[in-house]
Amino acid sequence: MQSIIHFSRVSRLLATFLVGLLHSVHTVAAQQGRPAWERVEAIQTLLNGAVPRPEAVRLDLPSVTQDGSSVLVTAEIDSPMTPDNHVEELYLFALGNPSPELAEIRFTPLAGRASVSTRIRLDRSQTVVALARTSGGDWLSGSRDVRVTVSGCLSRDATYQADDVMQTRVRVPPRFKAGQASDIRTLINHPMETGLRKDAAGQPIPEQIIELFQARLDDAPVLTVRLHRAIAANPYLVFHMAPEQSGELTLSWEEDTGETTVTTAEIRVD
Amino acid sequence: MVCRDYPRCLGHPFRLLNTTMTHTQLVVWSGFILGLLFGVVGQRTHYCTAGGLREWWREDNPRRAAALVIALSFALLGTQLSVAFGGLDVRPSIYRQSSFSWLLMPLGGLLFGYGMMLARGCGSRALVLLASGNLRSLVVLLALGVAAAITLTGPLAPWRLTMTEWTLVSWATVSVPELFYGGDPVHHVARLLPVAILVAVLLRVALVNMKLYRHPWEAAGAALIGLLVPAGWWVTGHWGADDFEPVPVESLTFVAPISDAIQYLMLSTGIRAGFGVTVVAGVLLGACATALCAREFQLRGFDSPRHMLRFLAGGVMMGVGGALALGCTIGQGLTGLSTLAFPSFLAVAGILLGAWLSLRGPLRIREQTAV
Repeated sequence: MQSIIHFSRVSRLLATFLVGLLHSVHTVAAQQGRPAWERVEAIQTLLNGAVPRPEAVRLDLPSVTQDGSSVLVTAEIDSPMTPDNHVEELYLFALGNPSPELAEIRFTPLAGRASVSTRIRLDRSQTVVALARTSGGDWLSGSRDVRVTVSGCLSRDATYQADDVMQTRVRVPPRFKAGQASDIRTLINHPMETGLRKDAAGQPIPEQIIELFQARLDDAPVLTVRLHRAIAANPYLVFHMAPEQSGELTLSWEEDTGETTVTTAEIRVD
Repeated sequence: MVCRDYPRCLGHPFRLLNTTMTHTQLVVWSGFILGLLFGVVGQRTHYCTAGGLREWWREDNPRRAAALVIALSFALLGTQLSVAFGGLDVRPSIYRQSSFSWLLMPLGGLLFGYGMMLARGCGSRALVLLASGNLRSLVVLLALGVAAAITLTGPLAPWRLTMTEWTLVSWATVSVPELFYGGDPVHHVARLLPVAILVAVLLRVALVNMKLYRHPWEAAGAALIGLLVPAGWWVTGHWGADDFEPVPVESLTFVAPISDAIQYLMLSTGIRAGFGVTVVAGVLLGACATALCAREFQLRGFDSPRHMLRFLAGGVMMGVGGALALGCTIGQGLTGLSTLAFPSFLAVAGILLGAWLSLRGPLRIREQTAV
């Protein structure tokens, strides 16, 4: 008799446990059924009820990184870039950052290829999301999980020096083939101060970032990028251009103080 | 294209040949070749820090220990010459950071030194031995790699960072040459004079006092291993330099890379192999091919569970210790010392103390089985 009571108590415990387990599995499954970005307000506002086509933006990120202060990300969309059918806008978000916005990129058909690379800051392990809008008004999306572990080395010295802030570097291919997209790399020395750090005296360091990048070939815009504070120090961009004829490429970087640096590069088309 | 940076263009074969190989590909393939060389030479000459110290301090036979001194002097000479005349900058490497933990550097070294005696060989030696069929080294390497990852990025990482923060010291002067020339990087005489004296003393000790002149081939092998260190600096510091995506400046080391290699095997679709991982692959392949050619490939295992436990403990101690001290007998002992950074001297002193404790004193390891 004693043993039966004992047994039933155990089974009741077991049943409670099982119900609890099923419930939590159900909750997790329900959450996983919806993409994580649906809970981010900025993305909801952007989409305004539209449902993006999943996995249409290819995001290239390391799945594990030891240095969250500078993570290389490439976002690319397989799409024609003709005047009547091209990718117009690309938005990058890091859902686990204090502010999820990373960058907004505006392409023109002159870009030739809807692809951009940059380095971003990731506060912790999280999901990076890309949303793109085509000229036809369709929304595309892509996402990748990134695990950020602690840095393997000791605190590094500052990577920039005050005296070469706002200095830029650009690398263009020696020759372009008419109408074919080739990549252009550019970088500007800048701390991209987030406004979240404190100095040695405990005072917050004010936010100071590069917020706008524009690339033009002669008078035609190629690409415009709005950068947010989660872009890594010394903002780095790789984008593409498919020029039809030779010209002069003008790159301009604008700081939030209004200061602007302009660089030009000769573009030769065969 | 006109080359304004003469030493860099001179040292960049593919920029001259105008191939399409990117600088990151060039760095990882060069790492593989350096690893191959290390594997071949290590297998032939039995280059081993643990074995060298054991035979020297226990059996009074300094032959293999002398090879370590030769390797160190060539690593030092090659690196310092490259810094003085080759336009190489080793200051961005982890050894020359201006702040470091005064506690974890020697403590990690101590753990590593004791562990390498338990496991009868450090990480690089274990790679060479595994490639010669020694399965004991497989246990050592897996334990080392996982323990290093536990300490660098796993459950022990928060503890490591807290301890580092508590014991952090910042020195304006972090290396020996700076004592003499006050930070001016092109003051050749002041940089090279102390180096020349040091190298001359080291070479004399190794060749004459330790009598390595009787074994010229071993001396040559050790010199080649030493020269792989400046070669590694050259690869990552010159060929890996890029305005937009510079490769981290590093050279031969075998704790984090073994850990990274294990991680790479598990996650290769999501991460890229760096210089260290291809060095590890190169060492395994180079040593394996050499062992097979020399008909020295022979499968070996453990004699008893206790025997296995001892090697396992050695691997774990090397992994944890190497992660705390930022390097091993190669990483700090050759590469770190070649930059003449003070923290490397602390780490190497720890390694030597750990090795000494395991050979003499109350903590010494009793040899039960002949290995």
